[in-house]
Amino acid sequence: MNPHSFASRLVRLARLTPALLAALVGAGCVTSTVDEMVFNEPTEGVGDASVVILGRRHASDYETEPDFIQCVGKHIQRGDSSINVIGELEFLNSLYPWFEPRTAPLRPADLDRLMTQPPVAERLASLQTEYLIWVDGSTVQTNSAGSMTCGVGPGGAGCFGFGTWGNDSTYEATIWDFTDRAEVGRVNTSASGQSYMPAVVVPIPIIAPVQGTACDGLGDQLLKFLSSEH
Amino acid sequence: MSGSMTSAPERRPRAGALLLAALLALAGCGAKEVVVQGQFPEPLMSKLPLTLGVWYEPEFREHEFFDEAKGRAESDWLVRTGEAQVELWDTLLTGMFERVVPMDARPAPDQMNPAVDAVLIPRVDELQYAIPAQTNIKVYEIWMRYAFELVTTQGETIADWTMTAYGKTPTAFLQSDEAAVNLAAVVALRDAGAHFATSFTRVPEVAAWMEALNAPAPTASAEAAAGPEDGP
Repeated sequence: MNPHSFASRLVRLARLTPALLAALVGAGCVTSTVDEMVFNEPTEGVGDASVVILGRRHASDYETEPDFIQCVGKHIQRGDSSINVIGELEFLNSLYPWFEPRTAPLRPADLDRLMTQPPVAERLASLQTEYLIWVDGSTVQTNSAGSMTCGVGPGGAGCFGFGTWGNDSTYEATIWDFTDRAEVGRVNTSASGQSYMPAVVVPIPIIAPVQGTACDGLGDQLLKFLSSEH
Repeated sequence: MSGSMTSAPERRPRAGALLLAALLALAGCGAKEVVVQGQFPEPLMSKLPLTLGVWYEPEFREHEFFDEAKGRAESDWLVRTGEAQVELWDTLLTGMFERVVPMDARPAPDQMNPAVDAVLIPRVDELQYAIPAQTNIKVYEIWMRYAFELVTTQGETIADWTMTAYGKTPTAFLQSDEAAVNLAAVVALRDAGAHFATSFTRVPEVAAWMEALNAPAPTASAEAAAGPEDGP
């Protein structure tokens, strides 16, 4: 073997190492599935109307994460900037107390009851809300293994060991049409992935972006439903 | 001069590491204190045509909950909700009633107070909290039981009833226990407001009193919107 070519290969490999490490960090393996069921898709997008995405928070053992709702909203607005997505907290505050976990409508028909309150009907009309999307689900840790020891001493601090854990995301989005007071679509997404954290002095997290993948999957399907450009 | 300058950097990491180690060791022992802070929106509803007086007892204004640690691994918890309670109920009642008047003292036969239709006196009877370390469920929870008295300016009882409120928040990366408990308390307070706003006119004694006053006008729509929920 030519020693020069071997050396040049080593130099090339050394140059690639930071890029490989960067690719590994934050890129654990994720598998994702999306199911869609649409009954009545808008043919020309939502136009000037607004869309609101709310998390369901009725279950006792989990809670749809507010940052996931924010992520889906941002994904839709990035995909089609003409869609006006009302922020979850802004909507909840402006219609307090009618969309709190205790009082939120559970069926589209419940919106009729809500509309009998003149201030509520006026507020919804001023917000021009056409679609209300309920997102229900959460991301949970499914398994974990390994061990890591960290220490702090006068000379410095460091960790040694290896840890791995899995995450599962399952979310379902239900789309309600405010005008027709009817459910017009349903999207399910699930994603799972395994994250790793080897540590030799410094822990190197290799995180599987499970929740982010679920957000992208759900956001893409909702974009197809809401946008005329997708 | 130069000697002191060269020796100082050698000492600092050691002192810093020792301080850090000491802080880490003490972190598990200290009491955790949460002064609940949040913003509460005004309710969106037709106002009841009533002038309501409101009286907060000092225990309510300064309400706090203390839980002593049961073991070395746990911390004492002190959750102060008084300030947030007053803020919530002031905002809620102002949005629910045509006029809300704070009372000078607890209504009694000899007590001079502004003229109102009735006086509401809220009280927190019980507060419970749960953090993931205690339950193994990855949510922070706050549960409260309120007791309400609706009295005349002379202190005679019109109605008294209890009501529960519940708030939870998921564990979030890089969120401290204190921040999560605060958020759960704010959710519980919002829930208390929502529960009260949608059930006030359905308390049988209150409904009867309002009928006697002939002031039930916006009640029907509020009840309809609240739906077939359990009574208070």
